[in-house]
Amino acid sequence: MIGQPSVGLVGVVVLLALLISGMPIGIALGIAGLGGLIVTLGLEPALIKSGVLVFETMTRYELGTLPLFMLMAHLCFTAGASGDFFGLAARLFGHRRGGLAIASVAGCAGFGSINGSSLATTATMGLVAVPEMRTRGYSDALATGTIAAGGTLGQMIPPSGALIVFGIIAEQSIGTLFTAAIVPGLTQMLCYFVVIALLVGSRPSLAPPTPRATWAERIAALRRVVDIGLLVVVVIGGIVLGWITASEAAAVGAAGALLICMKRGKLDRATLRRALEDTLRTSGLIYLVVIGALIFAAFIGVTGLADAIGSAIVDLDLGPVATMLLVAVFLLLIGSVLDGLALMLLTTPILLPLVTDMGLSAIWFGIFLVRAMEIGFIHPPIGMNLYVIQGVVPDVSLGRIFKGVLPFLAADLVHLTLLIVFPVIALGLPTWLGR
Amino acid sequence: MKRLRDLLVWIAGGALLSAVAVDSLAMIGRQIRFPLLGSIEIVEAVVLFAAGGGLIIATLDGAHARVNLLLARLPEYWRQRVARVHALVAALLFAALLAGTVWIAADLWNGYEESELLRIPYKPLRIAAACTLGVLLVLSLVAVTRRSTK
Repeated sequence: MIGQPSVGLVGVVVLLALLISGMPIGIALGIAGLGGLIVTLGLEPALIKSGVLVFETMTRYELGTLPLFMLMAHLCFTAGASGDFFGLAARLFGHRRGGLAIASVAGCAGFGSINGSSLATTATMGLVAVPEMRTRGYSDALATGTIAAGGTLGQMIPPSGALIVFGIIAEQSIGTLFTAAIVPGLTQMLCYFVVIALLVGSRPSLAPPTPRATWAERIAALRRVVDIGLLVVVVIGGIVLGWITASEAAAVGAAGALLICMKRGKLDRATLRRALEDTLRTSGLIYLVVIGALIFAAFIGVTGLADAIGSAIVDLDLGPVATMLLVAVFLLLIGSVLDGLALMLLTTPILLPLVTDMGLSAIWFGIFLVRAMEIGFIHPPIGMNLYVIQGVVPDVSLGRIFKGVLPFLAADLVHLTLLIVFPVIALGLPTWLGR
Repeated sequence: MKRLRDLLVWIAGGALLSAVAVDSLAMIGRQIRFPLLGSIEIVEAVVLFAAGGGLIIATLDGAHARVNLLLARLPEYWRQRVARVHALVAALLFAALLAGTVWIAADLWNGYEESELLRIPYKPLRIAAACTLGVLLVLSLVAVTRRSTK
């Protein structure tokens, strides 16, 4: 049997080809990994290893976190949380020039704190905020670009589905990953605020001011988010302060969301069934991807490809910052043909050993990787968020949406570079809290 | 078919709600110094049913994540052909995973595998995992043999 880096490299090329052909990501990862394991270890060990991985993944306690957070998000959506978050932000900032765009980004961050998906955040906030901005005379490029970029906050602000999957693949604490994501998520949001301020400062016609909300309206909007806001504080605060584990936080979040739905009179048999079915469908998608990724990671581990690439890069003697900048360019290039999840699952087993060999933190790498993934959500030709927004407002061309998202894309690249040069952005909070 | 799907949603969804209840009670119990023994083992067991149900529903709905870069640009005729090839590969993968799962289950059949604290037997869990893979295999084979719509 053969176990050489060259076999691993062939496996990566095969996987890339399968992914580009449109094969489901989990199936492509699984079949490439299984085929590779058969070549390197033989049929019997490959089948047994895969069988073990399937059972372990399906009964994995930490992975149970994901469906529970998804259930929380679906129930909060049923309770009308997305509109409430935007409503509050719009009443607080809407009267300023560009205020509704700022409110949309803040709303995306708020919705991102109960939902771990960029696409879901973009779709949901797009439905709520884009029509409002267009009605108020905002440029359609700015309105759509803001939501497409703001939607990526869903992936970074905890709870994040991508970070849970990364934590499972890389065997890292999900709680620490969530804690590490908070400052990058907030600074990303601030970057978007700066972009909006610069845009409307240079061209005021892009975003006319809207009437100022009265304090009574603001307080009423605040009251509408108190319960969900409190739930977010308990869930994220509990994880960050180490009072509860990520899995317990997910369960408490889902239980709290159920109670909120009941309190608001929005929970009946039909809505519960829909929330459960949507949660199960998305969970099934993720489970298949994780099973496939673990089989593929086992294959890459056997071939020694990651070690070989690591040695080659270390021999270049570029230093951690230059190496990671190179890795970022590589990820952005690969991200032009692969979507975020595929990118993360393909590169984690290869790049993680390299990163840890350079003395960098695996937690930091998880944040860096998710940040790079997020950029892939808004840059063509994949740029899924752009297509999602176009689905929401079909009369705005993809070209206009891309034009709108370009300034945010530039801010993302600056933010990613800052994350590489100053790892403390991600690692500061967990270190300070002793996580 | 709709009834079967309803049943699947309620069984897998019920498993999910059980995990919510058990983990929430465990958290509350720990805070009031009345720990719920073996809560992790219960969640691990029920999550298997949620995961299995989720995998089947995602496959039934064709909801698995994929890169659409090439597929979206193909004419309908070729898209359907490629989809059948993908379904065939999926069937191969599920068959291999099923073989591996059954192999281990057979090896451990007389091993009295159980969890540490609550002694939850693993045999039914391994059977449930195998059944899930069996259903996924059948669904993929159905997709391979499905007639073209055009």
